[in-house]
Amino acid sequence: MHSILAVDDSASMRQMVSFTLKNAGFAVTEAVDGQDALEKALARDFALVLTDQNMPRLDGIGLTRRLRETPKFRNTPILILTTESSDQMKQAGRAAGATGWLVKPFDPAKLVEVIHKVIR
Amino acid sequence: MEPAAPDDPDRPMTPDEGAFAEEGGLAPMEAADLQDHLLMACNDLDRLQRLLNDASDTLMGHFYGASGHLERALRLLSQLPANDQRHLHQAMEHLATVITSMQFHDIATQLLGHTTQRLRGCADRLAASALGDDDDEGTTVVTSFPNRPNPVTQDEMDAGSVELF
Repeated sequence: MHSILAVDDSASMRQMVSFTLKNAGFAVTEAVDGQDALEKALARDFALVLTDQNMPRLDGIGLTRRLRETPKFRNTPILILTTESSDQMKQAGRAAGATGWLVKPFDPAKLVEVIHKVIR
Repeated sequence: MEPAAPDDPDRPMTPDEGAFAEEGGLAPMEAADLQDHLLMACNDLDRLQRLLNDASDTLMGHFYGASGHLERALRLLSQLPANDQRHLHQAMEHLATVITSMQFHDIATQLLGHTTQRLRGCADRLAASALGDDDDEGTTVVTSFPNRPNPVTQDEMDAGSVELF
């Protein structure tokens, strides 16, 4: 079973992402912001990181940059799931090393499909 | 002749107010009035946020309750022919599609937070420029404007785009 780190400062979003991914057969660990995610990511392995962008302490792009500096996360898919849809932000995410950019609200079936596509 | 009341709109301006108006600014009374309106709008947005939180908590509670019951029912009836389980599976699929719309809370919260910060920034600047500093220390705490554009550009709750790099 693949393990996914789901990061969002909104409790309702974390619940919905977890519900969707667990129903699709993934194990899910939740983090409340980028800093919390970074600490959890360094403590164990994940097959994929799904993160919000706008969060206190450390945002999604910052988290992506930090994870890419860590050897074990150099090739791990990192998806940013956010309300932000500007090209500038997407390019910043891409430059930081994100694998993809998903704009909220997400469609559960589509989210699972994208995860299956990028996960190894 | 008695002097005009301070809130009489027809009263003549004081020298200070006249100078301020000539510079294109607002008279202190007008500024205070405008600040009140802005702060009331902020308070109303705060109340809207609490209503959203309450509605979202209730919806989420019932959503997970219903999905839990359906999962248990599916397990209990797993021996039945697939055709007999069809309605339960369809009910689960309906519940899953609701997840897209239920993300309104997160999106609305971001929009409300951004707009409230912008309004508070306006109210504080108005007070600081028209009414001066508010304490003996000579400093006024001014809410900063958001340092980025509004993150929410969605007009509806259709699923957003997916872009793989």
